[in-house]
Amino acid sequence: MRNLLGKSGPKIVILVTSVFFLLPLLAMTRFAFQNVGVFDLSWSKAFDKWTFDIVSKPFEDQYFTDSLYLSFKIAIGTAALTLGLLIPTAIWVHLRVPKARVLIEFMTVLPYVIPAIALVAGIVVIKPHARWFLNSDLSLIPFYTVLALPFTYRAIDSGLRALELRTLVDASRNLGAGWIRTMLKVIVPNLRSAIISATFLTVAVALGEFTIANVLLKRTFPPFINEYRMREPRAGYALAVLSLLFTIFIFGLLSVALRSPSAKSHQNSTKSREMS
Amino acid sequence: MAWIGLVPFFAFLTLFLFIPAFSVFSEALRGANGKFTLDSLREGISGQNLEAFKFSIKFSAGAAFVGVVFGTLLAYAAVITKRPKWLRSLITSFSGVAANMGGLTLAFAFVSLLGRQGVLTKILAALGWDLYSGNFGLGEIPGLITVYSYFNIPLMVLVTIPAIDGLRTSWREACANLGGTTWTYWRRIGLPVLAPSIMGGFLLLFTNSFSAFATARVLTDNSKIVPLRIGFFLGGDLSVGEDSIGYSLAAWMIIVMAVCMWLYWILRRRAEKWQS
Repeated sequence: MRNLLGKSGPKIVILVTSVFFLLPLLAMTRFAFQNVGVFDLSWSKAFDKWTFDIVSKPFEDQYFTDSLYLSFKIAIGTAALTLGLLIPTAIWVHLRVPKARVLIEFMTVLPYVIPAIALVAGIVVIKPHARWFLNSDLSLIPFYTVLALPFTYRAIDSGLRALELRTLVDASRNLGAGWIRTMLKVIVPNLRSAIISATFLTVAVALGEFTIANVLLKRTFPPFINEYRMREPRAGYALAVLSLLFTIFIFGLLSVALRSPSAKSHQNSTKSREMS
Repeated sequence: MAWIGLVPFFAFLTLFLFIPAFSVFSEALRGANGKFTLDSLREGISGQNLEAFKFSIKFSAGAAFVGVVFGTLLAYAAVITKRPKWLRSLITSFSGVAANMGGLTLAFAFVSLLGRQGVLTKILAALGWDLYSGNFGLGEIPGLITVYSYFNIPLMVLVTIPAIDGLRTSWREACANLGGTTWTYWRRIGLPVLAPSIMGGFLLLFTNSFSAFATARVLTDNSKIVPLRIGFFLGGDLSVGEDSIGYSLAAWMIIVMAVCMWLYWILRRRAEKWQS
């Protein structure tokens, strides 16, 4: 029986989609780094005047470093809050209230139901009653934690599922470790890959979030780029290319970080299952 | 007693998700005199607001349809192409990045490709096809569908690959042994098994397109896009009473999202039946 697309069908599908996915990126890269008029499109000039000098331009802008610094602070805060809140909660659910698992899972996908633009509408409503909190730029941290919840909880939950959690905890407790020590010295090291992926996902969400910051007029990095490219189109687009490369770098790092240990731990877990 | 460990998590969600979401509804249901009224909710879906919802539903459904068709094709092509071996993991990793790439960077990339001064716009114009002679625009339906496909197709790839992997070779062999053709296999076995995943994917892409704010904000000022409309009401200087329409739009958006996610939840349960 033949497959649905015939012999060369799959190749054509892959080729056409790759063109679709590459063209916009190429166009943006060219616009940022080739210093020629938009109209100069002849082949003979396609490789002329490429320059990366433009990359240094944003540093002349004071808001560039400020907004980047703020975004990194928020990203670190979001990652810390996410891990500090979700790891204990997920462990507790697994050990004490497995009944609650479906409920918690349901709660963690609610940010899909209440998207960023609706969430920020709610924040605008409560703003007059919580100015002391919402006036701070760092008040974005808990909201970004909420937005990342669907990804992060799933990462940590599936990490815990792969462990023999009950056995680990019992062994550690029998050897005299308290709860905190059990968590930090036994469970967290075993959750390494889940923690890494949750962290990267949160950082990606926090660094790229535009909606809430834009409506609340917070000067994080994405609103800065958007405002900057109106003043300095080429430099603005260059920043966008760089931040895209940074995202790809983060995801690349993530897949490298996860590949080796998780492959190993998978082998270990199948081995231990065979032994038991 | 066991539920006590979940208190921090629920307290967090209450403060940063439930209270804002609840405030949207309470504000949408309150009249200028502070009393309960359905007036703003009614106004949220009449006149220009109704036009906005129609427009948004139309382009979101279109974007979801295109994403489902090409996403499924690409996922299928990735699964059946065995060589080169790295191709499949390249497609899935790229999809992981691109599915999360919504927002500024994506909008910038398409503006430099298909904007009024875009590279492709100019090339097509040189070939005698003036894109902007009609009512094409990145903020109109065909433009939005093109741009949103950039994150919708990869998202569809990510959600359908497991489903396509779940199609067992033995079913195919059984069908062939019973005299079925490729066509019978897909009509009687393949598509029915994939149907819940495909329909679930459609809903996911629909909500994804319907709620996207950042990408649309950069592409256009088109106030027929519901999230942009909400943004205008939240940020604008409006006369008293008018801002409740922003909350009413946000409330309707949450309702639309809730219905879609509820259906998605049901379909996913059904889809998982075949994926163990």
